[in-house]
Amino acid sequence: MMTRFVRTIYLGLLVLATGCDGWKTPSGPPASLDADLRQSLSRWGTVPIGPTPAQPPALVDLGQALMFDKVLSGNRDIACATCHNPASHAGDGLALSIGTGGSGLGPSRTLGPGRQFIPRNAPTLVNTGLGAFYLFWDGRVSGSSFAFQTPAGAALPPGLPNILAAQAMFPVMSREEMRGAPGDRDRFGNPNELAELGDSDFVAVWQAVMRRLLAIPEYVTKFSAAFPGTPTSELGFQHAATAIAAFETQALTHTDSPFDRYLQHDDAALTAEQKRGALLFFGDKARCSSCHGGPLLGGQNFANAGVPQLGPGVGSGAPLDLGRGELLNQEFYKFAFRASPLRNVELTGPYMHDGAFPTLEAVLKHYNDVPRALRAYDTSQLPPTLQQMYRGDDATLAAVLTSLDGRLTQPLNLSDVEIAELVAFLKSLTDPAARDLTSLIPARVPSGLPVQE
Amino acid sequence: MTSRLVSLSVVLLAVAGTASAQSIPIQTVPLVPADQFDIFPSLTLAMGGVSIAVADTLHDPFVNPAKGARLRAARFFSAPTFYSVSHDAGAGRTLPLGIFTTAGTWYGGLALALQQVDASHPSSPSLNVPGTFDTTFRLTGPLPPGVQDLSPGADSHGNARAFALIGKELPGSGLSVGGSIGWTKLRALDGVDLLYPGSRRVDQSGETFDARLGVLKEWAGDRSFEAIVLHERFRMTHEVTFLDLFWDPGTQQFFQSPRLERNRDFSKRWGVQVKYERPLAASEWRIGWLATVNRISQPNTPNSDLLNIPQDPGRTTAYELGVGVSRTYGPSLFGMDVVFQPIWSTTWAEASTPTATPGGNVIPVGGRTVDNGFHFSNALIRIGVSREVTLGPLTKTAALQLGLAVRSVHYNLTQQDHVDVATHRLEESWLEWTPTWGLSFRFPELELRYRGRVSHGTDRLVANQNGFIANPVADVAPGFFPPGNSAMTLDGVHVVTHQFSVSLPLR
Repeated sequence: MMTRFVRTIYLGLLVLATGCDGWKTPSGPPASLDADLRQSLSRWGTVPIGPTPAQPPALVDLGQALMFDKVLSGNRDIACATCHNPASHAGDGLALSIGTGGSGLGPSRTLGPGRQFIPRNAPTLVNTGLGAFYLFWDGRVSGSSFAFQTPAGAALPPGLPNILAAQAMFPVMSREEMRGAPGDRDRFGNPNELAELGDSDFVAVWQAVMRRLLAIPEYVTKFSAAFPGTPTSELGFQHAATAIAAFETQALTHTDSPFDRYLQHDDAALTAEQKRGALLFFGDKARCSSCHGGPLLGGQNFANAGVPQLGPGVGSGAPLDLGRGELLNQEFYKFAFRASPLRNVELTGPYMHDGAFPTLEAVLKHYNDVPRALRAYDTSQLPPTLQQMYRGDDATLAAVLTSLDGRLTQPLNLSDVEIAELVAFLKSLTDPAARDLTSLIPARVPSGLPVQE
Repeated sequence: MTSRLVSLSVVLLAVAGTASAQSIPIQTVPLVPADQFDIFPSLTLAMGGVSIAVADTLHDPFVNPAKGARLRAARFFSAPTFYSVSHDAGAGRTLPLGIFTTAGTWYGGLALALQQVDASHPSSPSLNVPGTFDTTFRLTGPLPPGVQDLSPGADSHGNARAFALIGKELPGSGLSVGGSIGWTKLRALDGVDLLYPGSRRVDQSGETFDARLGVLKEWAGDRSFEAIVLHERFRMTHEVTFLDLFWDPGTQQFFQSPRLERNRDFSKRWGVQVKYERPLAASEWRIGWLATVNRISQPNTPNSDLLNIPQDPGRTTAYELGVGVSRTYGPSLFGMDVVFQPIWSTTWAEASTPTATPGGNVIPVGGRTVDNGFHFSNALIRIGVSREVTLGPLTKTAALQLGLAVRSVHYNLTQQDHVDVATHRLEESWLEWTPTWGLSFRFPELELRYRGRVSHGTDRLVANQNGFIANPVADVAPGFFPPGNSAMTLDGVHVVTHQFSVSLPLR
């Protein structure tokens, strides 16, 4: 009797126990934003930014002077800081930039007579000293301190310390941006000797710019202080570029945003809304981090994001802008542009390679359903001068959508609330110190040319 | 059991607690609590742990010191115990030694246990910075304050436990009273290192202290009543060293920077248990009832990135109601316990900085950002049999024991999020089952016992090696992305425990 009783109970419990796999309730606990977010950050290699090494003061001083001095431009009418104006957060606030011949600063800058828009938006210089692997929208300058790939090829002089210095070698080469067209005369009516040089004659242009600079005694003094071991006769434009990069690194690095503090394990640095936005950003729904991952939140790859074609176009693809596809002549990269690093993105609109979107909300609504948004692009969000430069014909749309990045072919199905959360997260990338950079504008430059006009 | 993404709600995780009874275990995830402190010899642990209506002469004094009165003679015991968690997820070894002695109506006991606990998964690349990392990513800068050592840490650490009891039988009254204290110096709690994925090393240090006061009243007719009051204090510090990756703009490379995180785990528990046991009339059956109340406060809980329910302190009231039966049938013994454990627990998180809410309010520092209310309805069934056979002379016997313990955990969580002004609810349940077995030999001079058990239905954190998402774009700067940490998953494991015990009279 007892044996049967025990056996029955024992077997019953064994049967019950063997069914235990189905006992667990699959429901998850309420989401912990921090636990989920930190795991997502780890998946995408988004780690804190370390301190930027202090740059030599004399080098920074020289770089600041060069950054704001229009003597570097063929017509002596535009400086690096014209399109990368501290008052506009080291951009210009324009959808497409206005190069030599233009007048004014910031969003109110206007084209000069007979001039054309620069085909692309002027990206901010804030945080360019952090070491992105690619610079320029098409990534035509790339590499690390060990080796650079640039349009100059073997003509690039040695001794450039970083990719930012390598990048600074090239705006003076661009006719539309700084050098001017053959036959141009400078602001004083004198011939523009830089514009007469060939487009592929990098060395000659750089030497000509240096002749201008070293003809100004104050620059000789500043170069000597910045490069004390280098005789004046051995100074080249690479030294000027090095100084410009040093100034950019010293003055324009701003990585103390709430998000940066969160990366440093301060859970209270972000609001709950920002954390939810970050989870979307780094999660599987919005997937932003698949391009904007890593420590810089971008800067290391390219994508055809289906951005509306706008502007005069570039190279052989004009009036279209094939982006990196133009550079590499590869179908894979057709209409692909660099995924920008996103710190301080709140401050640096208009957005995308041609400034097609004036707000972050507009960008996110575009990403939410790229094919539909591209076809329905509303040119009223553009300045009137650019509205007629929009290429919205069926052939262009089809061409852009044919090579659309595979991650964007399907709608993300983000709700309005989720888009607002993403915007909140993107605003958490703003370092408060980057909001007002006007203190970087010098009162004068060695050439005596006007600084802010 | 298939693996699933970790969604931990570890609150009042019962990694603490060195007492096997009167301390009601509380877990909110089925993380396996290895048998780290199940170290003293027992007659009935091989029978599924039945204890309400089955006497366990050797083990009962550790639970209720008044029951030392049932030891009729001085004895020495030792019980080397070994446990291991499957998938190389943990192991430990313990050597307890002790004596019980009597002097007239007084009795007492001393026990000392030395224990070695292995790291839970020392070879997992997700838990410690992998060696290959060191060749690619270099450490820079001086060590921050408090960081003494960046080596991965020892594979095992030692704990020590001391236990003493004293009691007195009051002649003629059937009453015994006793008290015991236990103290454990802790360097390792099994599984704690798993709470800190990505850490370089986890240094644990702490102690437990427990004091018990028990009374046993025995009447004619083999009836007994017992009561116990216990107090436990558990204090543990986890010093966790992380090597955080960061991007160095100067060199445009990844470096590592050490960071020390110090977490305190502190809890206090008061408990009361009463038990009544008697034979069923005119039969070989016995029946017993018990009731237990625990009041637990946890001023500090460890803060792990794995915890996904924000919480700092907590308070718990746990009850236990049980009934047990046993029957002796010649050389056979059968026992069964059924226990119900309703538990109410509240935990909360406090704002470390002024925290804004969507409604425009600000929660001040120290204000509650989250309130968690747990209600557990746990149940436990233990069942076991023992069969004794005589070997040759009547003084030599052998016994075979089998048992099964089944524990069901079910809880509801209501979480008030004061930051988002939202209410979340969660219901979770799981089942643990533990077959046990044992073999014993009794000779006039000594007793030799072996018992084993294997726990199923519990999980342990393991690394998901596919957790890192490679950048899908082909033209990625080589080396620009650092390796990411793997996602953690809960994977089913089982814990196997073996204990060999020897008990011999002291003459």
